[in-house]
Amino acid sequence: MSSLPGIGIVKGMALTLRRFFEPKATIKYPEVRIDVPHKFRGRLQLLYDEYGTLKCETCFQCAQACPIECIDMGGVDTKGRYHIHWGAPETYGERREESALRRSGRPVPDQAYAHFDPIHPEALVAILERFDFDPKRMLEILEATQAEYGHLPVAALKLISQRTGAWYAMIYGTATYYRHLRFEPPAAEPLAAAAADTRASRETSFLAGLDASLAGSRPAARA
Amino acid sequence: MARSFGRLTLAGKILFTVIPILLVLTGGLVVLIVVGGKPIVDFLATNMWLVRFVVAATLVLLTSVPTAFLIIYMEMKVIALMNLRIGPDRVGPYGSLLSVVHGLKVLMKEDFSPTGSDRLVFTLAPVVVYMSAVMTLMVLPVAPTIFGADFNIGLLYVFAIGGLTVVGLLMAGWSSFNKYSLLGGLRSAAQVISYEIPLTLSVVGLLLLAGTMSLNQLAINQAGWFTNWYVFQQPLGALIFFIAATAEANRTPFDLTEADSEIVAGFATEYSGMRFGFFFFAEYVNVFVVSGLIVTLFFGGWNAPFPWPWPLALNIDLGSMGLGLLFAILLVPPILILALAAPFYVASSAIKWWQAVILGFVLFNLLVIVAITGWAFISWDWVAGLLWFLGKSYVFVFIFVWMRGTLPRVRIDQLMGFAWKWLLPASLLNLFVTAAALVVVHK
Repeated sequence: MSSLPGIGIVKGMALTLRRFFEPKATIKYPEVRIDVPHKFRGRLQLLYDEYGTLKCETCFQCAQACPIECIDMGGVDTKGRYHIHWGAPETYGERREESALRRSGRPVPDQAYAHFDPIHPEALVAILERFDFDPKRMLEILEATQAEYGHLPVAALKLISQRTGAWYAMIYGTATYYRHLRFEPPAAEPLAAAAADTRASRETSFLAGLDASLAGSRPAARA
Repeated sequence: MARSFGRLTLAGKILFTVIPILLVLTGGLVVLIVVGGKPIVDFLATNMWLVRFVVAATLVLLTSVPTAFLIIYMEMKVIALMNLRIGPDRVGPYGSLLSVVHGLKVLMKEDFSPTGSDRLVFTLAPVVVYMSAVMTLMVLPVAPTIFGADFNIGLLYVFAIGGLTVVGLLMAGWSSFNKYSLLGGLRSAAQVISYEIPLTLSVVGLLLLAGTMSLNQLAINQAGWFTNWYVFQQPLGALIFFIAATAEANRTPFDLTEADSEIVAGFATEYSGMRFGFFFFAEYVNVFVVSGLIVTLFFGGWNAPFPWPWPLALNIDLGSMGLGLLFAILLVPPILILALAAPFYVASSAIKWWQAVILGFVLFNLLVIVAITGWAFISWDWVAGLLWFLGKSYVFVFIFVWMRGTLPRVRIDQLMGFAWKWLLPASLLNLFVTAAALVVVHK
């Protein structure tokens, strides 16, 4: 049928004739103004406080609320440990490119790509499969991960983000919210506790020494 | 006065000289007829062809420009609607006056002729093109007994005058002193001449059938039911004629002569102002001429597609109504206007009373126009014929516009190859088959 000469012309003519009767796409602008899309929020802008520094503290609330996911941003977490970002990594990397930052007059961070240790992902993948890769069960996933690895390695968080589709920053936010989840290996914690203990004992011994040197001038109320 | 005259362009100088002369001549003629009386009237009565020619030439010149305006507007609007746009909608109702405004704009533009150009030929070229378009209108029978002249070689005349277009295009290309204009002119000449051959050959079969070249006689031959139309006896001829006529009128998909989107306007590169306007108008008058020609040759001319029992002659004797007529004239319009306005006022509280009255007035006028046209349609066969002819012609104008909104432009080698390798053999085949069929039938 398509080999029939002239059939293409007939088809094209039929198409234009159909278009002739269809509703038109034109909006007569000055008289008719269409409503702004209900998810439109205006122009994106970073605000400065009265000291001239950016008010943005990289909380990702804007990126999280953005209905069309057009915001991507990055920064260093509040404890200065990990670099976290929102949005596609390649976009992010481009934005964080050093010369771009220098051109825009912003400080170039040192920890742009902080090194993190790799993990053996098989156990984590098994956990994720158990929870059906469901980002809504993130807390259970994180707890299971911590039970498996002892803490939450950055590589594990990245893998969870990759497999569940949840933004890394959301996982990071969940993980920092709960006190029982930790980012450090548990071995470090007893050490820290021990350090705290030694510090306390040193304090008491120091105070005891002080008391002894000041003996007489002060009543032994502390004992 | 002299200074402002000196400021006018050449066209303006001619116009402002010719109009007073024409006015004086017309006044003189009227005075002559009034004073001279009977001899002059007798002379005119014995030489009706002269009166007919003058009236026809005037009418054709007067109607060609509005026709062009109408077709230009139609083209803008229809193509826009086919592109899912609205198109012109600012000037006049639904933008219908936009082409008129374009015409005025073109009139007010600078009339420029390039250094080194042949001024005389440069000025005459658009005139030749426009006249060749308009002169073919003279022989088109638009209604029974309504035509400029009924030549027995009418069709030959149409092709001859239509061929004059090439001369105009070549004049324009040559006199512009611009190699691109010259190339454009030569290109369009090659196209138009190539398509002239299948165009002419495609109607030879028709001429064998009809035995006449008079366009009026051809239209008369097709009276009665629509099966008498020549398109049913010459379908291939009609198709070839349609395609070749499209190329002849420089319409898409064969509009290489002034392919506005790919070359600098071809032969019209150096033209501006009203001289360009004449080329532009000529194109659209040509569209109408070609449509009218197709209708006359193949689609029954001014005949209705079925035997219409006209004239019905409504014998309303207005004189017998006496004083009642006066009352009717006085009372019917306001009462009808108010009656037509009332539904609007009642139906919508947003419409104020004066707006409703205006609406009623417009509706009343529309009703009267429809009534008078309908009355004329059934009473006089020339009105009916004119309406049928215009209706059919504008169907073909619509098809031309429709094609422009759909088809892409062909390449120059495709254009030439199509004319010489396909249309010419097909038209020859059509001619031979028709001739053979006639021989068989007559034996």
